[in-house]
Amino acid sequence: MANDTFKAPESISRLSNLFLGVGGIFTLIWAVGCYTDTENALRGWLLGYIFWAGIGFGGLGILLLQYLTGGAWGVVIRRVVEACSRTIPLLALLFIPIGVGVKYIYEWANLPDDKFVAARGIYLEIPWWGGRAVLYFLLFGLMAYLLNKWSRQQDNAASYEEAAMHLGTATRFSGPTMVIFVLLVTFLSVDWTMTLEPHWFSTMWGFLFVAGWGLSCFCFSVAILAYLHDKAPLDRVLGKRHFHDIGKLMLALVMVWAYFNFSQYLIIYSGNLTEETPYYLVRSKGGWGVMGLLLIIFHFAFPFLILLMQDFKRKAKWLAALAIFILFMRLVDMYYIIGPSPRIGELKLHKLEVAFSVTPWDFVAPIAVGGLWLWWFFRELSKRPLVPHKDPFFENAIKHGKGH
Amino acid sequence: MENKIYGLLAEFDTTTEIVVAAEKVRDAGFTETDAFSPFPIHEMDEALGIKRSILPYVVFAGGIAGLILGLGLQYYTHVIDYPIIVGGRPHFSLPAFVPPAYEMTILLAGFAAVFGMLFMNGLPKPYHPVFNVPRFNLATREKFFLLIKADDPKYDYEETKAFLESLDPQEVFDVDE
Repeated sequence: MANDTFKAPESISRLSNLFLGVGGIFTLIWAVGCYTDTENALRGWLLGYIFWAGIGFGGLGILLLQYLTGGAWGVVIRRVVEACSRTIPLLALLFIPIGVGVKYIYEWANLPDDKFVAARGIYLEIPWWGGRAVLYFLLFGLMAYLLNKWSRQQDNAASYEEAAMHLGTATRFSGPTMVIFVLLVTFLSVDWTMTLEPHWFSTMWGFLFVAGWGLSCFCFSVAILAYLHDKAPLDRVLGKRHFHDIGKLMLALVMVWAYFNFSQYLIIYSGNLTEETPYYLVRSKGGWGVMGLLLIIFHFAFPFLILLMQDFKRKAKWLAALAIFILFMRLVDMYYIIGPSPRIGELKLHKLEVAFSVTPWDFVAPIAVGGLWLWWFFRELSKRPLVPHKDPFFENAIKHGKGH
Repeated sequence: MENKIYGLLAEFDTTTEIVVAAEKVRDAGFTETDAFSPFPIHEMDEALGIKRSILPYVVFAGGIAGLILGLGLQYYTHVIDYPIIVGGRPHFSLPAFVPPAYEMTILLAGFAAVFGMLFMNGLPKPYHPVFNVPRFNLATREKFFLLIKADDPKYDYEETKAFLESLDPQEVFDVDE
């Protein structure tokens, strides 16, 4: 096994091309929408972007996390989340429509004289908002670049000591970087999603996205690993034990997501303040209320109860099916945040009831962004060995893989 | 004086040896068996044919009981027994009831896990016959022991002893009751 290259199977390249086709076609359809229905098309793009970027940025977070905690799950998941983190340059490109169309998505960009917006000063003006976006991509890009560089050097390491040295570097880097990562996601999620409601605020927001994006990335990685687990070369690496471990972490993240969401709700419910309650008033009436209920049941209760079962977590295909279902609910969750937020010109109306609506662009744009993102992801995944086979813990991580 | 025999205890030197022996004991049809080792052996449950514990279901039931108790307690105190308005909220305000109900769920699930585990393991147990074998003290250090109890349906002193000898142990002991 020492000389094995663990090269990705051929089908990965075919998938990559397939997704480029799907992404390309849907991006063209979406581009038409930009002319005919600009506001809705851009809001749809934001939905798709926040969902898929969550997997990409989440990948970077999980990469940092697995260096910090160690463990067999981290060794087998590392190359998948590394490929996720290498999509950050593409995510910077895909952000351009949001940056350019900022006045069509965010009401605050049109209301510099609004009392609340004015009070936020230069922080919530387009140049500094855009400058922060550039800063996020530069810092995330730097983190991803360094971690991927050390990982490649480890693959080329001539000796065990050299491989261990690169692992040590990455581990030492991950500690402080994790703190910066969480802070960046907090600022980023406030900039890109919370400002959709410029009169509203929540101190749980950053954690909601850290947990939610971590969950997104975990579910995505489970789906990818389950696809690869019965094909060469990973059929000799992945075992029930690994899926069991990753399943347990999925359960933890499902609970953390629910915990943060409920905390936010309980704080606003107990506080009962005029500035805060409209967010949930709007989201608990009519179609949005039904959607919220569905989120509680299918984003939390159902996956939670299923993931309590040990046998379920040990079956790769079953776990992957649930993971894809949770990913879909992640998209619904993002729509629950973005969908009811005030449209351009509606902020002053202070609506306490918003009719449920969904436009075709809320389907087209996520598929467009997803196609392009998956194309890039699979291309990056096939570039490197599918497991860090020189890692000092690799042999240990795959031992007993089949039995346990 | 003739002592009553509790069972037969075989001593092994390595994990591999005891796992191989345990598989043979299981395949021979013995069910009243046990194994003792200085550290957990992951393969042992399967090798001895030990059934999965029902403890997870007990813990789940404990959790559900805690949830119902927690909600019930708050409903009784806030809605039935002493209804007063707090913070402008309705008497039955479910979101505010969640944290205590959640804590009760964790508490009773935790109790079910700890006490259920102790009960199912038959603990506390101040006396166990295996300690009548002096060398059994090594089970906490470096040796591995396999026990076949005398109340096993397939147990027969001479035959079982010969069978255990055939598994290549270091020694086979009679365990006095």
